[in-house]
Amino acid sequence: MCSRAALVTLLVLVGLVGCGRTTPETQSSATAAAQPVEKASAAQPEATPKAPPAKQEATPAPNPPTTERSTSPTPNPRPIERKRTPSSNDAVAPLVSKTLGTQSAPITIEVFSDYQCPACRELYLETLRPLIDNYALTGKVYLIHRDMPLSQHQYSRLAARYENAAAQVKELEKVSTALFQKQMQWSIDGNVDRVVAEVLTPAEMRQVRQMVESGKMDAAIDSDVERARTFGVRQTPTMVITHNGRSDPVVGVVPYSMLRQYLDELLKK
Amino acid sequence: MLLGRLGLGAVFLYAAYTKLKLPWITFAATIEAYKLLPESGVVFVARTLPWFEATLGALLVLGFGLRWVAAAASALLLAFFAAMVRSYALGLQIDCGCFGPGDALSWKTLIRDGLLTSVAVALAVASFRTSRSRARPMEPPWSGQTS
Repeated sequence: MCSRAALVTLLVLVGLVGCGRTTPETQSSATAAAQPVEKASAAQPEATPKAPPAKQEATPAPNPPTTERSTSPTPNPRPIERKRTPSSNDAVAPLVSKTLGTQSAPITIEVFSDYQCPACRELYLETLRPLIDNYALTGKVYLIHRDMPLSQHQYSRLAARYENAAAQVKELEKVSTALFQKQMQWSIDGNVDRVVAEVLTPAEMRQVRQMVESGKMDAAIDSDVERARTFGVRQTPTMVITHNGRSDPVVGVVPYSMLRQYLDELLKK
Repeated sequence: MLLGRLGLGAVFLYAAYTKLKLPWITFAATIEAYKLLPESGVVFVARTLPWFEATLGALLVLGFGLRWVAAAASALLLAFFAAMVRSYALGLQIDCGCFGPGDALSWKTLIRDGLLTSVAVALAVASFRTSRSRARPMEPPWSGQTS
């Protein structure tokens, strides 16, 4: 009995040591300039219709929304790991500014998503929208959007190009919202241009089209995809939440109230 | 039976470890994807299940209260398996949640967890039978003989 009790005690101790959280490591990675708080304006666009791109039939996304998995063979098919590098509140800034909130916020959330993914749509509309209002704009969370267009989605890269271009003209939130709200529409006909044109001014739309057609937005998208690989992200949506130098992945759609509960716990630490 | 007990215990301990090394919200997201529980249930399970698994694993390894621990492990695995089968039949592309994120629900994970469930059930049955045979009083060799 004594030996068994000792063994139990030892196991419990090993479990506490092994399963408990380790001390966070602060990272001294290069810092990017602090990003200003950004909120979409309420401008009324006057869209100039443009001929839609060549379209092919695309199958509508299935219901209920579930996480989407990359079907491309990955060179390093490891499960998602908790990463310490590169991670910290000095997260690597995206090539195109797709951020909301201030970089000095105690929590950074990098959201890897695909505009043609139904689960990403649900996450954005149900969880991220209130998160932006209550946490990003109040300086508690620094939100970074990362594009991870999946190969099985025909128009997701095109949508990402438009979104990146919209971020360049400081209309990221407006265009993201429009793309997700009308996801079913453009997923079928591929007419992302029309959806974006409905929410931007003609001048903004001209700039956006120019950037999309130049192909310059692909570098930003590829950079985000590469960052996803460093975290071992293979599904969308995935949020990587960084706090006190520690990054943890959250895969799938999390209700806002649940995420809020977790973030409030982090903020108390 | 010893191998089954130790193996199952090790699996439970490992499963608990993969969940406890990440914050509860990670496991909560996996549970939420099954669309089975209300939010309060999801949070409760996310916070408590890994510890329950760790406890079961430790007790299995140590051999304490084997009958009831094996029965509890069987019930737990049967519930997991039923949820997995349901989700697979519905075509949900979700994580199994068995050993942390990144473990996609597929026919392979169904077979794997089905085998684990079978081992647990067999262990529970065997431990109950063993206990019953020990409890039955031994009859003297001359019982039943007629004069």
